[in-house]
Amino acid sequence: MRVLVVEDERKTASFVRKALQSEGFAVDVCPNGNDALAAAKSTPFDVIVLDIMLPGRDGLSVLRQLRERRDATPILLLSARGEVNERVEGLNLGADDYLPKPFELAELVARVRALVRRGGENKSPVLRVADLTLDTLTRRAQRGGSEIELTAREYRLLEFLMRSADRLCGRMMILEKVWDYDFDPGTNLVDVYVRRLREKIDANFEPKLLHTVRGSGYILKERP
Amino acid sequence: MIIRTRLTLWYAGVLILSLVIIGLGTYREIDEQLRHAHRREPTEHAISETSEMVFQVGIPAILLGLLGGWWLTRKALAPVSKLTDAITKIHERNLRESLSRTRNGDELDRLTEVFNDMLMRLDDSFNRIREFTLHASHELKTPLTVLCGETETALRDESLSPTERERLVSQLDELLRLARIVDGLTLLAKADTGQVALKLEPVRLDELVRENFADTQILAEPQQIQVELAGCGEIPVRGDRHRLRQLLLNLADNAVKYNQPQGRVTMNLRRVDDVAEFTITNTGPGIPPESLPRIFDRFYRGDPAHSNEVDGCGLGLSIAKWIVSAHRGTIRIESVPDQLTTVTVRLPLDA
Repeated sequence: MRVLVVEDERKTASFVRKALQSEGFAVDVCPNGNDALAAAKSTPFDVIVLDIMLPGRDGLSVLRQLRERRDATPILLLSARGEVNERVEGLNLGADDYLPKPFELAELVARVRALVRRGGENKSPVLRVADLTLDTLTRRAQRGGSEIELTAREYRLLEFLMRSADRLCGRMMILEKVWDYDFDPGTNLVDVYVRRLREKIDANFEPKLLHTVRGSGYILKERP
Repeated sequence: MIIRTRLTLWYAGVLILSLVIIGLGTYREIDEQLRHAHRREPTEHAISETSEMVFQVGIPAILLGLLGGWWLTRKALAPVSKLTDAITKIHERNLRESLSRTRNGDELDRLTEVFNDMLMRLDDSFNRIREFTLHASHELKTPLTVLCGETETALRDESLSPTERERLVSQLDELLRLARIVDGLTLLAKADTGQVALKLEPVRLDELVRENFADTQILAEPQQIQVELAGCGEIPVRGDRHRLRQLLLNLADNAVKYNQPQGRVTMNLRRVDDVAEFTITNTGPGIPPESLPRIFDRFYRGDPAHSNEVDGCGLGLSIAKWIVSAHRGTIRIESVPDQLTTVTVRLPLDA
């Protein structure tokens, strides 16, 4: 798996590269838009992490150029401005995700992983992790043969976590996908909901499936 | 004493004085003529003649003069009243709308011109401060990104001792809090400079309130706080869905955070005349009366001794107020310490 990081701020580029490398990605870094366009032409990348504010040609222009030459590589936009309009504009231009700075590194890694796996996403109507199953047609959750009652929100949360099974899900990402919040409300909403969900799916069962990654987010997987 | 009265009195004084002078002059003239004509004591005759003239002509003339003077000063000072009215309407957001000038070159026109110049300078300074805040919050983001990233990178090191790990985690928590403050500041600075556009659409406020009610129940559970929804009929408004959700969550979060264990939160949405009224009450310790007027100020902490007890960015209510104002609504907080604190939001209904 090969990722191109387009970021002019040297330190940011450096820790993003380290984090992605430690997750097993091969990482190339470009400090400006023109280099990035050249690199993307000669090497096929699995994901491009693209900062919007670049010297010279900015990120949105790089994005437009890439899409114009029918390069469909998944793109994660980074921005220090964090404007709703910018987000909408980026997604309209064909970006696949958007992350405002300052971001949590774990959040960035989780999003890159999500982009890589997007193609191979589980399309089956019944999701399964160990003996926990979720039928997305009947909206029924079961573990060890017994029915689990879920509220509408809990259902959406569990569905998201199960679709992203074995991958770290950052708090912002959960807020975005489950609550449709594009701002950080500064509450512990996610943590409280996860705690409740854990009561329901993990309390009376072994092994535990829903794990907390401190300071970063949550992960649903069979083995810790 | 207002200028108009003062000028009228001065004018009356001048009139009376001139009348006395005219009276004296007339008296001497008549006296002289009578002396030449009859060569005998004319004084009494002259006095009565003069006073007759003064009363018959002078008093009505004074009254007429007074009336004229009152009218004249009124007319002369009318632009000043107009100026006063216009100046009362000035606040920090409309400094650009300068006062209208007569352009007749008189003193008042000159005053208006100078005043307009001053407004321009003030507006420039205000803009500079707003832009400074905006730039400052942008500038803070890059170093914050670096700090968060490097702290997280350090946390990935498996060989960290539990103490070192604890320290880094606490550092990261504070960095994330700082990031939230900077985010809030950026939003408000952008709103100040008119760079945040609301996406207005028909929104069912009752649906947002119900959704928020469900989340609040979950948020309140750990402290065993009871959450109630007293009323929530169908209420359509025109608004920005995301911002209204942000507003509701913000108010609900406050009602839970500033409550006491086993307390109560009550929400109510109803229609009052042609506005939607949402109230949310909590049974927390409340807000002392001296803090109420400043409660929407940025970073205002009522009691500095307790400012760190509740985790928050200090901008929540300022953001709430901005969201409400941007929807042409009003927000109000009332508090009876140790009993009930009520936040009331009123938004215009969708016509």
